[in-house]
Amino acid sequence: MQFFMTYILPVLVVGVFAAIFAFCLSFLGEKLAIERDARIDEIERNLAGANCGGCGYPGCAAFAEALFKGEATIDRCNPTAAANKSNIAKILGMSEEKSRETVAVVRCIGGNKCRNKYDYQGYGDCESAQLLADGNKACELGCMGLGTCSESCKFDAISVDKDLGFAIVDSEKCTSCGACVAACPKKIIRRIPKDAKVYVACSNTHRGKEVSSVCERGCIACGLCQKNCPTGAIALSNNLATIDYDKCIGCGKCKEVCPRKCILPFSMEYNAAKNLKNVNNTGDKINRKGENNHEKTA
Amino acid sequence: MSIASIISIVISAILTENIVLNKTLGICPLLGTSKKTDSAVGMGLAVTFVITVSSVVCYGLFQLLDMWNITYLQTIVFILVIASLVQLLDIVLKRFSPTLYNSLGIYLALITTNCTVLGSANMVIDNGYNLLETFIFGFFTGLGFTMVLILMSGIREKLNRAHIPVSFAGFPIALIIAGILAMAFAGFSGFAF
Repeated sequence: MQFFMTYILPVLVVGVFAAIFAFCLSFLGEKLAIERDARIDEIERNLAGANCGGCGYPGCAAFAEALFKGEATIDRCNPTAAANKSNIAKILGMSEEKSRETVAVVRCIGGNKCRNKYDYQGYGDCESAQLLADGNKACELGCMGLGTCSESCKFDAISVDKDLGFAIVDSEKCTSCGACVAACPKKIIRRIPKDAKVYVACSNTHRGKEVSSVCERGCIACGLCQKNCPTGAIALSNNLATIDYDKCIGCGKCKEVCPRKCILPFSMEYNAAKNLKNVNNTGDKINRKGENNHEKTA
Repeated sequence: MSIASIISIVISAILTENIVLNKTLGICPLLGTSKKTDSAVGMGLAVTFVITVSSVVCYGLFQLLDMWNITYLQTIVFILVIASLVQLLDIVLKRFSPTLYNSLGIYLALITTNCTVLGSANMVIDNGYNLLETFIFGFFTGLGFTMVLILMSGIREKLNRAHIPVSFAGFPIALIIAGILAMAFAGFSGFAF
């Protein structure tokens, strides 16, 4: 009896407990398993798996489930390759929708050429600057160049050019996931088709006089591009030129006639916004606040 | 058992003997899930739920071990029980309460080997509580844990908007904040019941 109590019982107790729990777990695991459609897993395998969150769901798994339920459409995800997208469309039994591949652009080239409303010395990201009287730029829809977009980018594709003072997308790295589009408090980052030849690099919707009083580069809604477009692809809406890429043939007339040079040529390999540095580097550099670190040395 | 003893358990579980700041258990979730208030609340509620259930179950099992005079098996049996219990809860919640599962789900798996749960189960035995006291102790220990996590996440969210010297940014400042919080909570130890 003594032997039993000392050696056998402890082994028995732990063994029996382990067996009971193992049984419970496997039994209940089988019994209470949730029927998850195998197609959801199949969809998830076809997604890019970047988990970038650009679609607005917590990750690729959640997006796959939303796709299956019909809550989302596949074009919300851009990193996924076209072949995989058509696979997913097949799994979902949908007709293959032809969606153009897109890339993000920052629709502002104001930067240092745009007047500052005040000296911003806060934390140094766009969100906190935006909280103070709608940002430090005199233009409500001007890039503040504090880099919230580049922090949100998982692919290192968007960065702020310190000399120019606005953010520029590296089109080749950009997967058009939409993270920066969501992060920008000014909402001036938009997607354009990859095969676009020009884009309007301004978002300001105020009248021409107000725009020219705050920014040297903004669109003043003169309408020259609209008049000169041979296919009628450009329309002025809200005092801003907008391009209909379905009609645009890429002749480049608009960028030539634009008196403000805010319609920029676009191609995947080369970003015209970056080139502005060389052309317009003579103007006085407005000292941008907020990027210094305020580290106390004392 | 009186009302006074219950109040004393509640106060000591939340403030004077706070499981994180006084007993230094559960430092991993304190640092890991306190970056955002949302996740702090989720983790806190999940831990509260699991601690309450597992304390009661471990209390019952200990009576069994005590009867057979093999209380030295306490630790290993408790680990076994807690790990299986969390997995069971995971399965059961997923099936019967998808809403609760969606808010606690990702944190439940983290709790499987969490020392706060095992620690509070052990404390229940050390303090010689009865069943009702065990339940109350477990629940309020969890609440104390949740409170610290929320306090911590509030501070860390504020810190995101502050200028911290580079060498302190991120993890080191979180440890310093935890230390200062613990010192503040040490002030409660003067409470006598």
